[in-house]
Amino acid sequence: MSAAAQSNALILHEDDNVAVVVHPVRTGEAVVVKAEKLLTAAEDIDVGHKIALRPIASGGTVYRYGEPIVEATQAIEAGAWVHVHNTRPIPGDLQA
Amino acid sequence: MRFQGYPRENGTVGVRNHLLVLSSVACANGVVEAIGRELPGVVPVTHGYGCGYGPEDFRVSHRVLTGLVNHPNVGAALIIGLGCEVMKAEFLAAGVEGKPVEALVVQESGGSQATTEKGLAIARKLSEQLEKVERVPVPVSELVVGLQCGGSDALSGVTANPAVGAAADRFVDAGATVILAEITEMIGTAHILKRRGATPEIGAEIEQLVNDHHAYVRAQLGDLAGMVIAPGNVDGGLSSITEKSLGAITKGGTTPLQEVIEYGERPLKRGLVIMNTPGYDIDSMAGIAAGGAQIMLFTTGRGSVAGFPAVPVVKISSNSRTFQNMPGDMDVNAGAVVDEGKTIDEVGQEIFDLALEVAAGERTCAERNRSAPFNYLKQGPSF
Repeated sequence: MSAAAQSNALILHEDDNVAVVVHPVRTGEAVVVKAEKLLTAAEDIDVGHKIALRPIASGGTVYRYGEPIVEATQAIEAGAWVHVHNTRPIPGDLQA
Repeated sequence: MRFQGYPRENGTVGVRNHLLVLSSVACANGVVEAIGRELPGVVPVTHGYGCGYGPEDFRVSHRVLTGLVNHPNVGAALIIGLGCEVMKAEFLAAGVEGKPVEALVVQESGGSQATTEKGLAIARKLSEQLEKVERVPVPVSELVVGLQCGGSDALSGVTANPAVGAAADRFVDAGATVILAEITEMIGTAHILKRRGATPEIGAEIEQLVNDHHAYVRAQLGDLAGMVIAPGNVDGGLSSITEKSLGAITKGGTTPLQEVIEYGERPLKRGLVIMNTPGYDIDSMAGIAAGGAQIMLFTTGRGSVAGFPAVPVVKISSNSRTFQNMPGDMDVNAGAVVDEGKTIDEVGQEIFDLALEVAAGERTCAERNRSAPFNYLKQGPSF
């Protein structure tokens, strides 16, 4: 398997709009899921962290495991890191 | 689908045929330990309780300890009591059905050394009986599989837990029962679990259980309750309690939730059930085992080495580093999803296949290491 085809992210459910990074991804690097290059990372992202697979509008829901986990507090572009700096718990869910 | 196991009189099947030597009260632990040292083939179980607790803890203690003696993996039992305790050895022995059980009381048997000698004679006799029993084909649908995590890391919810979920779905498809536990790890997902109930009533029951537990955690821990999502979780990439807890409940797979059961209670339904246990893995496993789980699937990231008495625990590492750094402790490497290009479903199949081999007698790492800590959840104070 060539280095370029080595997967560095996982999509845990078909409805998800984020992937989880399993090997550190650098800005401009290809995000590879199941040996398929899906998009380019807009920033450095660490293992265990999430990357947006498509644009998420401000107030839009982030899905992981096919379930809503947080909502965006600003517009998030495809390839961007998705975490507490640009999301918040969904109102009504528990706050951290 | 069948495996080679031990059918029991009450219709359950064992995956082991152990002689359990149990203390009814902590004061009898010395005798139990002495018997265990002399006869390494028995499963000695000691604990810190047995005396001086209120009615609720008496009920829980009785349920857990008789649950262990009645466990399908236990072919015979010897219970050692002191004599003046609340949880008497004879009382525990009376709750045992369909298997040889004997009780000894230290104060009535001539003290520690004489009780140990008498216990060894009984244990040798019972062991001989157990050795004669052969495995026969039994249905996989009689398996109760417990799910547990401990020492999780950032990949637990990405590799090991989803892979166990894929295995859990296979067990449910085969007609078996799967126990998802650790209500502490479900905080923030009550609204999601509610939708997964097999009926609206079961969904409502699960929602209530998780919300009640959250209130309990808040009442007990106050400001520390926020620690259910620790700074380390956020550093690891988790953005909300809901996201963290989803990573834990993904161990249960995708089938509907059939029942909610109390700590240490036996499931009445088949399929996926939820048991009310805490996040602390040793206490949680005690409830799951008392509920009759013959085998447990345990995910870890940092590297938990804990097994459980009389119950094989399959250890599944979330990452290859822990798997390689702790040789002889981990049974399955779910880190292969990250490093070897395996899919979550492939690792799920691997876990399912290994669990069936373990059910048929293959020993797990924790069994080989004799790693079998025991403790159970006591709610109230000691008196």
